[in-house]
Amino acid sequence: MDLRRTRLRLLIVASLAALWMVAAAGRLAYLQLFCYSDYLARALRQQRHIVQISPKRAPIYDRNLLPLAMSIEVDSCFAVPSEIADQEMAARLLAGALGIPQSVIEERLASSSSFAWVERKLSPEKTRRVAALNLKGIYFQKENQRFYPKRELAAHVLGYVDIDEKGLAGVEYELNDQIRTKPGRVLVLGDARHRLLESRENTQDTSASVVLTLDEKIQYIAEKELSTAIAETHAIAGTILIENPSNGELLAVANWPRFNPNAAKDTPPEMMMDRAVSALYEPGSTFKIITLAAALEEAITRPDEVVDCQNGAIYIAGHRIRDHKPFGLLPVSQVLAQSSDVGAIKIALRLGAPKFYDYIRAFGFGAPTGIDLPGESKGILRRVENWTPISVGSISMGQEVGVTPVQLITAVSAIANGGLIYRPHVVKELRREGQPLPAEEAPEKTEPRRAISAKTAATLRWMLEGVVREGTGKLARLDGWTAAGKTGSAQKIDPATGRYSPTQLIASFTGFAPLNNPAVTILISLDSPVGLHEGGEVAAPVFKRVAEQVLSYLDVPRDIPVRERILTASRKTPSSNALPDVTDFSPGETSGATDSSAEFAEAASLRATAPQTVALAEGARITVPKLKGKTVREVTEECFRLGLSPVLIGTGVALEQSPNAGQPTRPGGRVTVRFGNAARRNGSGKGD
Amino acid sequence: MARTRKKASKTTEFYTVKRIDNSRLVRTVAPSRLRECLRLVALGGLVTAGALLYTWQHFQCIQLSYQVEALKAQQAEARGLNQQLRLEVAGLRDPMRIDVIARRQLGLTAPVSGQVENLNSPSDAELAQVRLAQAANRP
Repeated sequence: MDLRRTRLRLLIVASLAALWMVAAAGRLAYLQLFCYSDYLARALRQQRHIVQISPKRAPIYDRNLLPLAMSIEVDSCFAVPSEIADQEMAARLLAGALGIPQSVIEERLASSSSFAWVERKLSPEKTRRVAALNLKGIYFQKENQRFYPKRELAAHVLGYVDIDEKGLAGVEYELNDQIRTKPGRVLVLGDARHRLLESRENTQDTSASVVLTLDEKIQYIAEKELSTAIAETHAIAGTILIENPSNGELLAVANWPRFNPNAAKDTPPEMMMDRAVSALYEPGSTFKIITLAAALEEAITRPDEVVDCQNGAIYIAGHRIRDHKPFGLLPVSQVLAQSSDVGAIKIALRLGAPKFYDYIRAFGFGAPTGIDLPGESKGILRRVENWTPISVGSISMGQEVGVTPVQLITAVSAIANGGLIYRPHVVKELRREGQPLPAEEAPEKTEPRRAISAKTAATLRWMLEGVVREGTGKLARLDGWTAAGKTGSAQKIDPATGRYSPTQLIASFTGFAPLNNPAVTILISLDSPVGLHEGGEVAAPVFKRVAEQVLSYLDVPRDIPVRERILTASRKTPSSNALPDVTDFSPGETSGATDSSAEFAEAASLRATAPQTVALAEGARITVPKLKGKTVREVTEECFRLGLSPVLIGTGVALEQSPNAGQPTRPGGRVTVRFGNAARRNGSGKGD
Repeated sequence: MARTRKKASKTTEFYTVKRIDNSRLVRTVAPSRLRECLRLVALGGLVTAGALLYTWQHFQCIQLSYQVEALKAQQAEARGLNQQLRLEVAGLRDPMRIDVIARRQLGLTAPVSGQVENLNSPSDAELAQVRLAQAANRP
């Protein structure tokens, strides 16, 4: 009986257990077989998050790999408005922390219930302030932001980017696809406590850093001197280009007005215009280089041929053209040196329009140079069929033709390098992971083409040296190097009258140095200088200042002696406390339109006001005194008093010295003195 | 229930004690059964150890994942700091900043042409050659 009951109980328990197991197994089977995908998706939604990564931009370096543009991660603040209980209060608190009107933030929060940007790319200080509020529904996301640590330096070449890190100008725009990575995503796995368990980035960094041909120091020299020239001449704009004539690499591209690309959104568009490649102007007398190059290449004239400049006036198609001075008979070399319009016109008329047009095109005018910067203008050059009877004369002296500074420097570099036209460029190479990109990914290189023969180029170089030596460009003469170049003073068209303005000119100077194997070609262009306005008066001195600094920096050997000058040593009083400190670059400055022009102008003015005062006296000379007949003690004291190093040989009185008395020597120079017995010497019958 | 209790109380039960002495019984040892038993225990031990190892590895993997992510975060932070410092260095090396400090705070001025002598500059003989070549190139 008991056994039966026990069995019954066991049977019941077993049945219940089996039933439970069947139910559990059934449930498991149901979950696995029918609900698997649904629950898997729900689990992944809870565990996995996809985080968007803002696009990165690779750095931009100068030719010495000094950074000119770089990106760092900053915080952007966003809101999930549905999580914010009191949006008005949140907007008020955020407005105080961010310095934005409350209404703007309220508008942003109302724009969406799931996601709304509050403010992007915050400064570290603002991030701290917002984080301290600890508001529910307010979050931060990392984004990359572009910075230009040298501020205005080379701003027109570098360009700038928008809020989404997309290049809008300069190299940033031209090489946007190479510099910028695509927006990426990171897959994040988290646990129930939101701790990160695993993250996988699905983007590959294919961006390449850019190495420019610009040299930071040369760029600074160019911008500083341009700033000084603008301050001195009150010109409204200006450009300085410095190019290596042997390969077309631009070492500096300086434009005025300047702008700070860190605050590009607050800058007027006209300030951001890259005048070096976009600004068109009539080159004026600098174009006579092309006229004479064509004539010499066609053997129509020679440097020593005498041209009758008709006392400074010529009639073409009923138009009277006058020289700036009434010249009579001038050799062709002097036509260039004295910049005679009449002489240039007569030579061009002998050349003829078709050939002249061909040479102008051969030098690259009327077509883009192919420089790797956006917005290049091709210039203005009418087809020869559309030339009027006066066109040959006008174009020969640089009118009726519009050129860009980069076109003109390319042509002058061809004269400097022996007749080859190189494509001007600012991008030296692209790099990835510290190595240059392979040839198939690197920027395309173009072979140079010949515009004129090497012999003609050599002749022109010599003639252009005459311009600097004895012509209109005397103020461009360098101290220690030979130089060649051409001045230009082109009248601007007055928009009101449509005629040439008598007061507004573009003063320019284009040249290269040293004469043989030129290291640099330099173009100076000043728009509408006030007061002195001729190219030889305002642009040539700038060429001198720029060229001397650049050639010294490049350590180009001097090919003529340095002029002796009196140098005065003085002790300057450093650091006046009244002056404000130098403003260092800080990432926070992008929020405002900061401009370091004041510091720049100060640096320039300091240079301008104290050109002859030096802190060192290395160049000073000491005249060697007469030491003969003096004792060892007297010689030693005399030498030490003058700052010379005596080398004493023998004893007695000084018999011979080297260098001789009266000769100059440098401070610390050695003076060798031989001593002996004066009486014996006199007795032997040998005199001085 | 009450009726059952009454019924149970009426039943008389006797308990007898019978002492059984099994001490003289000798249990026969079957070696094959012992081996089988040992094998079973060993197998069970292996399976348990395997299961424990797997579980340990799984949790260790999770712990290491946490550590890897923490290190990744540290790395990203260090990279960000490095970039910020590079940016700061680049800003401090701004030529204009150095120029202004040199002139304003240190009282320096730019050297005039010829004042700086480069010890590696060419000799007079080399310069003479340059001048000769220059003269020869003139037409």
